[in-house]
Order: sequence, then C-alpha cells, then structure tokens
Amino acid sequence: MKTEADLLPLSPQAARAVGRLRPARKIGRQIFVFLAPFVLYGLFLLYNGVNPWELYVSMVRSAFGDWFGFGETLIKATPILLTGLAAALPARAGLINVGGEGQLAIGALLATMAAVWLLDAVPAAAGIPLMLFAGALGGALWAGVTALLKVAGRMNETIASLLLNYVAVFLVGYFVHGPLKDPHSFNWPFSPEIARQLRLPVFDGTRLHIGFLLAIAFAVLVWLVLAKTGTGFRIRVLGGNRIAAERAGIRVSLIYAGVLLAAGALAGIAGMIEIAGIEGRLRPTTGATYGYLGFLAAWMAWNHPLRLLLTSFLLGMIAVAGNELEIGSGLPSSSVHMLMALVLFFLMGGARGRKA
Amino acid sequence: MKRKRNRKAGWVCALMALLMLMAACSQPGAGGGSSGGSSGGSSGESSGGPSGSSGGEAPGTGGSAIGFIFVGTKDDYGYNQAAYIGSEAVEKAFPDLKVLRAENVPETAEAERVLEQMIKDGAKILFPTSYGHLDPALNVAARHPDAVFFHQGGLKTAENLGTYFGTIWEPVYLAGIAAGKMSKTGKLGYIVSVPIPQVLLNINAFTLGARSVNPDATTTVVFTGSWCDPGQQANAANSLIDGGADVLTQHQDCTKTIIETAERRGVMSVGYHADASSLASLGWIVGSVWNWPDLFVDMAKTAVEGNFKGSKYDGKFRGGLADNVVRLTGFGENVPEDVRTLVEQKKEELLSGRLHPFAGPVRDQSGAVRIEEGVIPTVEELESTDYLVEGVIGNIPQ
Amino acid sequence: MIADILTGALRSGTSVMLASQGELISERAGVINLGTEGCMLAGALGGFATTVWTGNPWLGALAGGLCGMLLSLIHACLVLDRGANQLASGLTLMFFGIGVTAFLGRSFVSEQIVGFNPAPIPVLSDIPVLGEVLFNHDPLTYLSMLLVPALWFVLFRTRIGIILRAAGEREEVLFACGVNPRLVRYAAVLAGGFLAGIGGAQLSVAYTHSWVENMTAGRGVVAVAMVIFAAWRPFRAMLGAYLFGAAQALQLTVQQQGLPISPYFLFMAPYVLTLAALLIVERRKRSSVPEGLSRVFAADADG
Repeated sequence: MKTEADLLPLSPQAARAVGRLRPARKIGRQIFVFLAPFVLYGLFLLYNGVNPWELYVSMVRSAFGDWFGFGETLIKATPILLTGLAAALPARAGLINVGGEGQLAIGALLATMAAVWLLDAVPAAAGIPLMLFAGALGGALWAGVTALLKVAGRMNETIASLLLNYVAVFLVGYFVHGPLKDPHSFNWPFSPEIARQLRLPVFDGTRLHIGFLLAIAFAVLVWLVLAKTGTGFRIRVLGGNRIAAERAGIRVSLIYAGVLLAAGALAGIAGMIEIAGIEGRLRPTTGATYGYLGFLAAWMAWNHPLRLLLTSFLLGMIAVAGNELEIGSGLPSSSVHMLMALVLFFLMGGARGRKA
Repeated sequence: MKRKRNRKAGWVCALMALLMLMAACSQPGAGGGSSGGSSGGSSGESSGGPSGSSGGEAPGTGGSAIGFIFVGTKDDYGYNQAAYIGSEAVEKAFPDLKVLRAENVPETAEAERVLEQMIKDGAKILFPTSYGHLDPALNVAARHPDAVFFHQGGLKTAENLGTYFGTIWEPVYLAGIAAGKMSKTGKLGYIVSVPIPQVLLNINAFTLGARSVNPDATTTVVFTGSWCDPGQQANAANSLIDGGADVLTQHQDCTKTIIETAERRGVMSVGYHADASSLASLGWIVGSVWNWPDLFVDMAKTAVEGNFKGSKYDGKFRGGLADNVVRLTGFGENVPEDVRTLVEQKKEELLSGRLHPFAGPVRDQSGAVRIEEGVIPTVEELESTDYLVEGVIGNIPQ
Repeated sequence: MIADILTGALRSGTSVMLASQGELISERAGVINLGTEGCMLAGALGGFATTVWTGNPWLGALAGGLCGMLLSLIHACLVLDRGANQLASGLTLMFFGIGVTAFLGRSFVSEQIVGFNPAPIPVLSDIPVLGEVLFNHDPLTYLSMLLVPALWFVLFRTRIGIILRAAGEREEVLFACGVNPRLVRYAAVLAGGFLAGIGGAQLSVAYTHSWVENMTAGRGVVAVAMVIFAAWRPFRAMLGAYLFGAAQALQLTVQQQGLPISPYFLFMAPYVLTLAALLIVERRKRSSVPEGLSRVFAADADG
C-alpha cells in the first residue's frame, strides 16, 4: 500500500520537480481517462456509420433532458446503490460479496410473498415497512447461507456467493412458475400484482419513487456506522489486518457473519424496492444484473458509501443513455456493454496506485 | 493514499459536470442536431407523463417512427428473427417512417423505459414482441393514449393496445402427425425452455398429432431453463437420443444446434420458428414457422391511416394456417410419399374446419379429462394451457 | 444409464475443464481472472469464425486459444502494470467479452461449419461401458484429458513449475533467482486465457458446431469456482469439472423419468452439488491457497 514516491528513492531536487509536475499531470490524466473511452468508442461508431457527437448528445439528453429521463437515471441508480453497499460493507471487513444478484432476487421474492399472501389488506403505513422488512429478511437469509459456509464451513465467500446467485435465480423461477403464480395471468410466470397501497409513492410526471431517498438514507447510515461507531472501527481493523484484529480480541467470525447479513439485507431491500417501486409483481428476471453492477459501483467508489452515491449514479446514467444509444444508432444492444466496459477499463488503468 | 482517492472523486465530479453541460447545451432548439427520429417537437409534446388525447386525432397517426422491441437478438434463427424480418418488411413498406429497434429488452419494467424512449423519439406505433412485454406495454399505453400498441401473444388488451398472434399449434399438430408416422421407436423428444403456456400448448399439439397416427407414441419433454444455450441444448439432445428418442423437436429461441446434433447422431428432427431443412438433409421431417411480414405491414397500415379503432386488430387477433400467418415448411428428402399425402390431407381438413386438434375429449397426464367430449376450446383457454396431455413424459411445476 | 450420465459428464464438462486448467495456471501465479467467461466467449467466436473461413477446425481451435489470450492480455495489463483490482478488472472483462463477441459475432450465428466430430479410438472404444464413456469423443476432449497430467507434471516436477508457483507464493525467491515475477505472471495469465479460449472453442467448434451470443452462459464463472474447489490441483479441477458436467447430465436424465420434481430444482442441482463438494473439500484444506491469492482476497478492504 505504498505510493510510487514512497518506493522510489529520489533526490530532493528531483522530488521537487515531480511535485511541480504533478498538478498538470494529474489533470491531464483525468481528462485522458474520461475522454479516451468516448473517443475510442466514437471511432467505433464512425466505423459503423453513426455520428458519435449527435449520438452522445441525444444519449445525454435522454438521461438528463427532462424530469422523466432524470427520474429514470435515479430509478436505475437506486438498486445499484443498494447492491453496491452490499458489496462495499463486507469489503471493508475484508470480505468479497459478489452475491448481490442472488440476495436481491431472494429479497424481492420474500417481499412479494409477504405482500401477496399476508399484506394484501394492510394499510400502507404498516404494509410498506413490513414488506421492506420481508425483503431485508430474504436478502439476509440468502447472505446467511454464504455467511454460514464462510464461518462454519471455512469456504471462500466469493465463490460461495457467486454460485448461490445461480441457485437464487432458479429458486425465483420455481416460485413464479409454481406456488406464487398469478391465477389471473393466464398461467404466465408472474406473481400476482401487489396491492395498490403497497406501491411506493411516485413523483409526478415520472416513474421515480421514494425508494431512491431510502437508498440514500441507507448509504448515509452505512457510512455513519463505519466511520463513527465502535463496530465500524472493528470492521475496519479487521479489514486492514486480520491477524492484528484477532490479537486485539476482535471476534472475527461474529463480524464476518454480521457484515454479510447486513449486506444481504441491503441487497434484499433493493429487491423489495424494485417490486414495490417499479415492477408491482415478481417476474423470473426481476432485478437481473443489478448485483454485478453494484459490485462494480462499489469498486469504483473504493468501497466508500458516500462516493458510492456518485458511482451508482454514473452507472445508472450509462444504462439509461444506453437505451438511446441502441435506439438512436440502430446498433445492437451488445454495443452498450462495450461502452460500459471501455469506460471501466480506462478508469481502472487510470486509477493507478493500489497494488492488488 | 488520501490524495489518490480525491483524485478519483475529482474526475467523477468532472465527468458529471461535463455531462450536465452537454445536456444543458443540447436542450434549447438543438433538437435538429440529434440523430434521425428524435425530432424536437414531438419530444417536447410527449415528454413526461400523459400527453392528453390530442383533440380528435386517431391514435397511432402523426408519428415519425415505428418502434419494435425484442426479447432476444435478431440473429437467433428463431422467434426473434421471425419478428425482426417482420420489422424489416414494415421498414420497406413505410419509407417515410423510421423504424426503431431495441433487442434484448428484458421482460420487466425495463421495457417501459425503452417504450417511453421510443415514443420520445417520435414513435406512435409500437410492437412489443414478447409475452413478458405485455404489462409494461399496458402501463405505457395508459400514459400515451395517442399511440397504438400491437402486442405479440397477449391476452389482455386496452383502448389503444391490441394483441396479435399466430395459431402455430396448427402446423405443430401436423408436424406431430409426420413425426408419429416417421418414428420407429415411438419415442419423440421435445426440448423446451421454460413451462409457459405457449410451450405447453405446442408440446400438447405435437403429441396429439403423433398419437393420432400412432397411439403408442410418447413425447419426452426436457426443460433447459433458458431460451438459447447451445451447450445445454446439445446436452439435452444427446441425453434424449441416448434415452431412445429418434425424432427431436424443440421450442427454443435458437434452433440450429439441436437440429445439427440430431443430424450428426443420425436421428430425425422437426423444426420450429425457422425453416432449417438445409441443416439436416437426411433427418429433416418438416417444421412450423411464422410469417409476420404481411401481417405487420397490414397492422401498421391500419394504424397509420387512423383506422385502428374498431379494426380487427383492436382486440385479440389470431392468424392461422388459413391466414398464412403460420406455415408448414416443405418436407425432408427422406419423408415418404404416403406420409406427405397424409399430412397434406389433414392440413386440408384443418383449413376447412372439419378437424380441430384440441376437439375434446383431451386428457392430461393423470388421465383426467381437461377438454370435454365435443367441446372446442377458445383461444383464451388454449393460450393459458397449464397441463400436459396424455402421452407426454415430463413434469411441470404446479 | 450410468454410462450415459458419465458420457454426458465428459461431453458437457470438457469446456469447463479446459478453462479451469487455464485459470489454475493463472491463479498459481497469483492472479485470479473472473473474466474467464469473456475469454471463453472470445475463444468460442474466434474458433468458430476461423473454422468458417478456413474449414479447418484445428486452425479454429488454435485461433480460439489466441483470441482468449488476447482478451486476457487486457486483464494482465490492467492488473500487473496498472495495479487494478483483480476482481473488478475480471468482472469488467466478462462484460466486455460478452459485448464484443455479441457484436462481432452477429453475422456468424447462422453459419454452418464442419467442426470436430467424435472419433472413436479403435480397440479401446470397444471396451464395454468404459470405451463408450472415455474413448468416443472429439479430438479436443482427448487432448484435454492428456493436458491434465502434463500440467501436473510441469507444475510439480519441473523448474518452470517451481518458478510459476513461486510467483504466486514467494516472489522474493524469484528476485533472488534473477527472474522477474511480473513476467512470470504475465505468461501465466496469457496461458490461462489461451486455455479458456480453447475451452470456448471446444464448445463452439467441437460440441455444438454453433455460435450464438453469450453461449458460454456462466461456464467461465463455474470454471473459476472449480479451481478453488480443486484447491489449485489439476486432477481435482478435472474431477470438479466432470462432476459439474455429470450433474447437468443427471438432471436431464431425471427429467426424462417424469418424476414429480419441479425442473427448477433440477436446474439448481449442478450449482448446489458444486457448493456441497466445495464444502467437503474446503473443510479439510486451507493451506494450499497460493499466498499471492489470499492477498487478492484481502486487498479489497480499504487500507
């Protein structure tokens, strides 16, 4: 964890010279990192007969041009923020949770079950919090499997959570094709629609629901816990050096289990928000890829909950603008993947410093 | 270390600022600068929320584009390709209208955003082409009463949303007859994705067809859980062949792998979605395919001319063999004359209405009667099938 | 029926097995590549396209390997030169691989090829049961079976193997010997990409004779899991991959019996069985984690 300057033995003069160079180089690098993927992608667009500037302008306008588009960006960023927290929190304790995908799915499943089977006639004031709790419980249960495998089975949590994603998707498939299937949907694999009063309130003229405020609140909460509490301190010590943490008497297993459960709950809430805010019912592919996007957002934010606000917004924006990319350019949907990957590659290449 | 983090946050902020700037710059009157379909006027009108019924104008008219959304990609040799070919015909028939397409649109509320985006870009006629796009399309349709939606395969409609589909189970039934005749082991293999009604309906039609000529024939069903995973398709095909099946058919989005695997292992195949006879010169029996172009063009024409209301597409339109919306392909080289004659004869009976594949009694796997003697099921009943008929081996979640 | 399942295990497990052997090399040198999925896709498309152009599946397999290698080069550059987070870089590589191959591969979807076909080995394939299970496959499958002992030998019995493992465990040793550990890691990541690419090509050119976008459908991810399941040992990785293949074959066979089990529970079987196997193995083993890797897994914490 040392910077170049710490490693390179420089003469004082040389060090001063580097010091003078730094600001210019820093800004230069930032501009390069930001522009390079778009320039490169622009060449790709030109080669395919699309005017890059026009397309970029219309993409940006689709995400920011009016309240509807801006709302869509926030809608998209909301689950990414929550699954991002689900990756960031365990990361601060030294764990890698790539299971946001499955935790979100099971959260959505339990939230829907609760809404459809139990809360149908319950008023919003009690129903929405209970549904939220069910979502958090579902995510935590799924993360609990990972935690159990990690703590009791000494299994690597990265691989366990990754494999459980596949299992979760099939489990949701089982329920929407079976016990949770809507009897009035002509046997299509959807759950019944949740009751009207359980839907999250929506801002006028958009599809934006209050879920995004909830997500921001959770980001602040996670930051507070990490930065200001004793538990947060212990989590960070453990993440910094496990052996030191053990010597200091920190109960490693307890913290591991705790952060994984909390992470699962956060991802599960993302699932609940998708159901109560956007979808209204559970479908076999509800929330797909949000878990992975959240992981990337967390990484881009160095696992810092507040920076995550920015990075999840950025990814949400690319995803929304990506729709316009496809519709406006006539290029296939895969080209959106390519743009997103290019931006991330340059980000990684440009953000030199941490040796992993 | 601290410094580096700041640098990072710094450039993210810079990026945001620049994008905001771009957005701001492009707003006032810069609409003409954006690509093709997104004319400034229409985006101003319909952006955000309901645009209100524009006084007296018929829905679907006055747009600058027609939008298509697909659940997969155009090149999958199957369901999406068939719909894509339909969209190309529309493109040709309406040179003044831009055709907007979006592929791999998930069957979730994602579809709503894509449809909204297309409407912003000037589309007044939209084709959501997969079953899971129905609910999102209904939501968007309620917000945009001036646009017309044609949904593929839905059973719910709205003021400005009609559904269309083809009774593909007719040719599938005929293909089942051919397969029943051709099979030597009497074991037919059906590789399918997930247990949705369209899939179950086809399995049933195929089995009823096969058992009408060979009462001992059975159809073994294997679910792969995905619409297009060639590796899993090959696994399923090999597994069915190892189990003794000598005719394979499928309901997948991409169909090439199964037909080629069957051919290489020397068993026969029945096609679906697309004519793949060129892939299996020895084993090809026959196949069922979609023919969307004429229908799509006619639907678009109806809407463009403002005649959607009250037309046959304002509701649930179902085209069949008789309408040439679904077709039976040509036979393979090794299909003998008597089988061809029999299938052609049954086809005539179907076309004339003397034969209905699902005329009762139809029994399910447990032997219980699902369609009573003398009853002909409705479109709704057929398209919400939730059982497998007698003679099918396989299990569906209940 | 047992023979059918075992044959199916080899058929559907071989692509995963090749990719996991490659990932094993890379991880032994201390670099984990979650982008194996992307490398497999690149290999699948590169192999398929080359076979279309040249009509020669051997050239296709080679080209597939090279395409996988090319993609893994991005990972190597970012991780080894730019100090990027290995897991994030790998995940991005996966997205990139899916996007690029889907885009470039559009025109190849409906192409037909004459790829590898099963070539029964004379005499051996006549042995009852065993002959059918082991000696009635395509040439790439045979080669992949030979690869495993070869890799084991190189890893544990040669100087190259010692250098490779040292890169993942004690890079001081390499400095002492005058070997540049970064170059060793580069070579390992590229070798890993090459084998993942061949694994992808096995899927497209030998097994399915088809190309469609995202055709690996998570096999690359499973391959990475298998390496950890195998405690970084070639023979165990082979076993794991075949186990995964067997679970897939088994669920298809069970479906055909018409038992009242929801297919969705059967779809889960390969993943649940892998997890169960992982649990059993992991309870006993821990010491064999290359030290460089355990640092990767800890490095994501904020320092």
